[in-house]
Amino acid sequence: MSGLTIPEFLALASALLALSIFGVLTRRNFILLLIAIEIGMNAAILNFIYFAAFPLCAGHSALSGQAIAVVTIGFAATEVAVGLAIVLALNRLKGTTNVAESTELKL
Amino acid sequence: MVPLAPALAFVSISFVGRRWPKGEWGGWIAVVAAGFSMVVSVLIALGEMGAPGTYTDVSYTWFNLPGSPGAFPNGFRLVIGTLVDPISALMLLVVTVVGFLVMLYSIGYMHHDRGLPRYYAELSLFLTAMIGLVLSDNLLEFFLFWELVGVCSYFLIGFYYEKPSAASAAKEAFIVTRVGDVLFLAGIFVYFATYATSGPAGGWAANGFLFAYGNAPFLAGVLGGNSFLLTVAGLFIVAGAAGKSAQFPLHVWLPDAMEGPTTVSALIHAATMVAAGVYLLAVTSLFLGFTSLDLLVIVAIGGFTTFFAATMAVVNPDIKRVIAYSTISQLGYMVLAIGVGGAMLGLFHLFTHAFFKALLFLAAGSVIHAIGTQDLFKMGGLRKTMRLTSAAFLVGGLALAGIPPFGGFWSKDDILSAAVQAAEAHAAYWPFVVLAFAAVYLTAYYIFRVWFLTFSGDAVRDPSLPAAHEGGWVMQVPLIALSVFAVVAGLFVFVPSFQTLLQPFGVAVAGIPPTYTSTDLALSAISVVLAGAGIATAYALWGGGRVYELAPRSAARPIRQLLLERYYFKAAYDAIGRRGIYTLARVADFVDRYVIDGTVHGLERAMGAVSDRLRRAQTGVVSDYAAYVVAGLLFVFVVLLLVGPYVVNAWGGG
Repeated sequence: MSGLTIPEFLALASALLALSIFGVLTRRNFILLLIAIEIGMNAAILNFIYFAAFPLCAGHSALSGQAIAVVTIGFAATEVAVGLAIVLALNRLKGTTNVAESTELKL
Repeated sequence: MVPLAPALAFVSISFVGRRWPKGEWGGWIAVVAAGFSMVVSVLIALGEMGAPGTYTDVSYTWFNLPGSPGAFPNGFRLVIGTLVDPISALMLLVVTVVGFLVMLYSIGYMHHDRGLPRYYAELSLFLTAMIGLVLSDNLLEFFLFWELVGVCSYFLIGFYYEKPSAASAAKEAFIVTRVGDVLFLAGIFVYFATYATSGPAGGWAANGFLFAYGNAPFLAGVLGGNSFLLTVAGLFIVAGAAGKSAQFPLHVWLPDAMEGPTTVSALIHAATMVAAGVYLLAVTSLFLGFTSLDLLVIVAIGGFTTFFAATMAVVNPDIKRVIAYSTISQLGYMVLAIGVGGAMLGLFHLFTHAFFKALLFLAAGSVIHAIGTQDLFKMGGLRKTMRLTSAAFLVGGLALAGIPPFGGFWSKDDILSAAVQAAEAHAAYWPFVVLAFAAVYLTAYYIFRVWFLTFSGDAVRDPSLPAAHEGGWVMQVPLIALSVFAVVAGLFVFVPSFQTLLQPFGVAVAGIPPTYTSTDLALSAISVVLAGAGIATAYALWGGGRVYELAPRSAARPIRQLLLERYYFKAAYDAIGRRGIYTLARVADFVDRYVIDGTVHGLERAMGAVSDRLRRAQTGVVSDYAAYVVAGLLFVFVVLLLVGPYVVNAWGGG
């Protein structure tokens, strides 16, 4: 495994997560929000792939982390599909994709 | 089977009585049920007479608590059962015979009243409870029925509930007897604490407090080690009995209980329920045993009450209240008898007293029914219009005064001679025995004062009263029957088979052996002379329609006032109630309103304020929620960073 050392890699993943959180907290456009969430998930997936190279105990293959990554990508795709569907429906209903204007979650 | 009939009557009258006016709103059901019980009881009593020395105990375990090692090794078994032995057979006779006659009399006496289904249902329930009490085979079951008769008494005293005096009298009766009941319960607790772990079969109290012959020696054996606790338990039992039997100082409720219908006074407050206290004492002394200090207290209460109540009866202008005081006084004799060791003598007096006192009440009821007043000074001359009633009252009066051969003589005389015998052994008894003798004179005086005021003379003193007449046959038959009993009940002692009912067996009661037929002639002569003197005094002052007036400046006036005010006991209790209890209640109210409610309301307000703030956080905007999630995560991270190392160390590293 050449390239990144563990601290370097952790810094990369944390930066990605921070970017995502920043996006989630500041963006008001629903689509941008979804993109920010995707970035956060990718930060997590990156962790799986990286640490899969250091099997901690016998019986763990390097493939298990990568398999989880693939499955998570699949989940992320479906999640985005659902998210986009909500955006479309919301847009049709309100004529805007600004999250601050839809307060339906309030009880 | 005996209590079942009135129980069925209670249930059926409760449901159908209201729709059945022709059957006196269920009255006849009650009469038939009581009659059935009476027949069965007589059969039981005859059976007991036929086979002396046997008793039948049928008991079922209600529930069983397993024991645990240590303080409570034997567990606890609660049993429900019936015990038929001579004394309960005797009591059964009293309860059901008087019960039946009173029920029959009620048909005529209560005819004009409203709310009759309630009356007959409650009376039937009372009869059920009283029979259950008599047949109980253990102390806890006894207590259960004891409370039940108490509550029936409360209902029936307050029968005319729209009258404030009746309602308050019912409350008073309930509360005062409750004082006794609580102490009685405390006595049961002490017995349990003392005897749950020791004694035959691994603890008498743990095995259901069974009344069984043979307990008394056992408890007496334990007495060496636990005599203090046994004394305390005995005193609590005495207090319970004093509450129920209206003994000093818990006597105040009985005269006021006269607010109920006269029939109720006859059945509950003369013949049966008030006698339950005496019965309790008798049962306790036979089955469990009292210590010598307990006995002294019993003698003191009994002897003092006989005299104390009799003095109040002397001046009272109300026909029923005089008889009520006389009941208290006679119950005092029974208590005295138990105190001097003659439990069976007490029960014998209970037996005779039940008949002649019920007779007096029913005769008084006839008078009240006829002319509608209870004021002795308005009556007079009723001998002419109410021959039967006047004769019945005379018989009852002679029996009460203790003139031979009427019922009261034999039993009262036995008690007095036993008391004198006991006093010769224990000098401390003397004052109370002397008081009991003095009460003989007073008793004869006050009851004949009533008779002369009511029946002698030429005419009714208050002309506005309606013309007197006798009640119908339903009222006359019980009067005649009870008159017969009042005469012969005392003579029963000479019937050998009846004597078996008065014979405790298994254990000889400490002190005086029961001697029923042999009496001290000199003592009998003294008591008869005293009674005769009482009657003579009454005749001199009130006979032939005279009304005795105290001289205006007489020294006796303040005394009379004191007696009329009942030695200010009621006033004192009221004052205690008003000052003490109300103050306590006010403090409790304050605590409730400001401390407890204040805390609750304060919490409520605080919660409201907090949730009001929190509500604003719920904006419904997704980004805000996301921010909360992140904040929460950060918080968890920070906590883990700060605390985590310590936790890991605490778990032993890793």
